[in-house]
Amino acid sequence: MADAAQARRTSHNTAVGARPQRQGLLRELRNYWPLYAMAMPGVLFFLVFKYVPLAGSVIAFKDYMIFKGLAESPWVGWKHFRAFFEYPDFARVFRNTLLIGLYNLVFVFPFPIVLALLFNELRSMAYKRTLQTIYYVPHFFSWVIIAGITFDVLSNTGIVNALREWVGLEPVLFMQEERFFRSIVVLTSIWRDAGWGTIVLLAAIAGINPEVYESALVDGAGRIRQIFSITLPLIMPTVLVLFLLQIGHFLDLSFEQIYNLLTPMTYGVGDVIDTYVYRVGIIEAQYSSTTAIGLFQSVIGLVLVLGFNSLAKRYQREGGLF
Amino acid sequence: MPAMQASLGERLFRLGVILALGAFGFLMLVPLLKVVSTSFSSPYAVDAGRVFLWPVDFTLASWAKIVERTALWRSFGLTVVVTVLGTTLCLLLTALMAYPMSKREFRPARLLAVMVVITMIFRYPIIPYFLTVREIGLYDNFWVLIVPNLLTAYNLIIMRTFFRELPRELEEAAQMEGCGYFRTLFHLVLPISKAVLATLGIFYAVMLWNQFMHPLMFIDNQHLYPLQLRLREYMVSTESTLASGFEGSVPYNNATLKAATVIFATVPILAVYPFLQQHFVKGATLGSVK
Repeated sequence: MADAAQARRTSHNTAVGARPQRQGLLRELRNYWPLYAMAMPGVLFFLVFKYVPLAGSVIAFKDYMIFKGLAESPWVGWKHFRAFFEYPDFARVFRNTLLIGLYNLVFVFPFPIVLALLFNELRSMAYKRTLQTIYYVPHFFSWVIIAGITFDVLSNTGIVNALREWVGLEPVLFMQEERFFRSIVVLTSIWRDAGWGTIVLLAAIAGINPEVYESALVDGAGRIRQIFSITLPLIMPTVLVLFLLQIGHFLDLSFEQIYNLLTPMTYGVGDVIDTYVYRVGIIEAQYSSTTAIGLFQSVIGLVLVLGFNSLAKRYQREGGLF
Repeated sequence: MPAMQASLGERLFRLGVILALGAFGFLMLVPLLKVVSTSFSSPYAVDAGRVFLWPVDFTLASWAKIVERTALWRSFGLTVVVTVLGTTLCLLLTALMAYPMSKREFRPARLLAVMVVITMIFRYPIIPYFLTVREIGLYDNFWVLIVPNLLTAYNLIIMRTFFRELPRELEEAAQMEGCGYFRTLFHLVLPISKAVLATLGIFYAVMLWNQFMHPLMFIDNQHLYPLQLRLREYMVSTESTLASGFEGSVPYNNATLKAATVIFATVPILAVYPFLQQHFVKGATLGSVK
């Protein structure tokens, strides 16, 4: 839209040569102005809330000072990037982020795939429906609620410790011990979102042509064989798309999840880039250095998406996101 | 003979699947049941670790205590307003942008699609975002709970794809009769798009109801605390501020109060859940990004 207006203005200035183009634009606007008008608020939204912050990332290369403003703050080049690589806290935070990201990829990501394949084996529709209702519910709970429930269940009077006591074991303060933190993150992710994740996969499975199964049956392939030789390969494109969407967020873990599950005792393993950036950036107002971290995070995400996307394309035609 | 064996193996396999999924589903319910029963149990039973899946020494004391909290109700009311108003505005804005994007004759459609998809694969750093929103004057402002949430790229793409697949002839007929784009959108397209509107409405409503990071970053004023922020406040608060009075002299304690508060915030979601379920399954499968 802005481009169109700009083009119109310049074409006024350059008179004759640009006439056909100007007429085209005028006609375009006369015929389609309602479409432009409709798109306007949304475009404005994207510019203000997505692209201005993106442009504002230049403060990663400056020493941003509030009272001086963006333009007046001095350029400092790669200073903030060098600084955080040397910063002892960063190594810990980066390591925590990588580990949880890896856990997510290895344990959380495949879970809905397994669930969907199993759901597909259920023959009783009523049973399937009932189970799905249960599996989808936690997805609608906020992380504050999920964390609240988790703290309750794992507290010293919680259900897990009550069971431990029953069989004669000492109670454990799960939420306050570092060694359990990552597992709790993984389990709560699975609890909240694994069921939800099956929806797309079940739709992909439902889209498989039944004739494929019939001919497999004729060839003597049993159910288990069918899962591995038909269902799984045929939903791979969907799995791949989900994987690509996930890999781009490898380093940006769910802030709301980690933040709400953290306790001061688990900072050593639970403090990740996002919680660190929130604390140091927003609370302590160190804007430039934390923007550098954020930018680094986004670039890694982009590289991962593009890299795996081109891999996916090589692996299968029509593979990949774009 | 081998066929018989296979069928026995398969029957066992199927039985295993039924049991495994059922057991896992039950495990998923356990935490929820535990918190519900804690909220209705006496603090002594809870402290003694006697509460599992049903209340012990049933009491409404914790609930009676938390429904007296005016701050909780204020946050609740605020969140209802944000969710209802926000969802309406979200749907309006999404439809307004998705409609032109679905039109072949709209030349910038591709450009806009690229602009939207870029935001999906490259995340802006959070700090410049924070500074931008604050610069606009939304810090500690009621509208920060709605305005920065108005559109999500994913929902926009879903609606565009849906509009694209509507039968072309309908709209052409309307335009023959002299309907402009606005009339076509509001009187023809939206009324036949109830399915996608319902689905995306749910997505937006859940997002607005559950939002936590936004208010955490942008809301400082206690009076503007939405439900999740208030909830967090209760979750991290310690015994002394919650259960004033001597532990043991009141029929509730920190754990039962927290449990009741968590369930309090969960009830609205569970109440609308049955109505949602028929829609979101459809919607979650609509969104093919390509």
